[in-house]
Amino acid sequence: MKIRGFHWGLALVGLVMGIMLAVQFRLTRDIEQTPPVQQTQSLAAQVNQARRERDQLQQQADQLRARLNRVASGPQVDTLKTEINKARLLAGTVAATGPGVEVSLNDSNLTVQPGENPNLYVLHDEDVLKVINELKAAGAEAVSINGQRLLATSEVRCIGPTILTNQSHRLTPPFVIAAIGNPDTMINALQMRGGVVEQLRFWGIQVSIKKLAQLNIPAYNGSISFDYARPAAVREGGGA
Amino acid sequence: MAVVALALGVLIGLQVPLILPQAYAKYLSVAALAALDSVFGGIRAAMEDNFDNGVFISGFFSNALLAAGLAFIGERLGIDLYLAAVVAFGVRLFQNLAIIRRHLLKK
Repeated sequence: MKIRGFHWGLALVGLVMGIMLAVQFRLTRDIEQTPPVQQTQSLAAQVNQARRERDQLQQQADQLRARLNRVASGPQVDTLKTEINKARLLAGTVAATGPGVEVSLNDSNLTVQPGENPNLYVLHDEDVLKVINELKAAGAEAVSINGQRLLATSEVRCIGPTILTNQSHRLTPPFVIAAIGNPDTMINALQMRGGVVEQLRFWGIQVSIKKLAQLNIPAYNGSISFDYARPAAVREGGGA
Repeated sequence: MAVVALALGVLIGLQVPLILPQAYAKYLSVAALAALDSVFGGIRAAMEDNFDNGVFISGFFSNALLAAGLAFIGERLGIDLYLAAVVAFGVRLFQNLAIIRRHLLKK
């Protein structure tokens, strides 16, 4: 009985002892294998740092990509486009639209008195030129006569009862001069006291001015070629 | 018998899937030291022929728990009380070993 109890106690103690030692052994081994807290923290900090850097780089890449997109589809190309459009508008190779005035001119309906020069009652190229000049002075940005776009090189020339413009187009009265610009300024300029319209009306030439909110001027439909003039210097970047 | 039980315990301890949190490693180490001391005390008592099962078992467990508790309290109080347990049980361990050695030499 005593021996049995003795053995029972020893067995229990041995068992517990064994468990404790084994668990302790495993724990110690675990602690050795587990990286120290400080190292873990520094590693975590490094990871966070790397992550931040990656985010920053990502952001930078996004920004650069956005900039690339902006440049590719953006203002520089846009400014070039607007410049081209401006130049085309100026050159007359593109139809123009906008507010403006339409000036109709026709020969005098006064009866010529005997002994008077009938030429005075006839609409001349000079009259048309005067009107066009006045319109341009008043800020007309695009001008046409009878649907013929007037270019920088366009002439208005008298050939018999008609006038010639753009080298090949004969125009007959009545002449309808359309001009895009500030309508009020142009009308005021034309109707100025002692101005063009007054002079023309003195000779009975029929002048009617129509103010239009929307006026369409067609493009020049001929070809433009330069035989002599060359661009003197092409500026990079296309300023002006 | 005791050796078999010890081996069984080691086996169980190694195989058991549950593992204590590392924070308890210190307490367990001190408790293991106390238990070891108790075991040597028991061996010594057995050699002196005054081994008492109740004293042995109660001593074993109370020493282990006391040592672990001391380490725990010391941790909470910021005092390294487990050192006291280590020193106390360590000294007793060596004393017991010395006595056991003498008994063995006397035989």
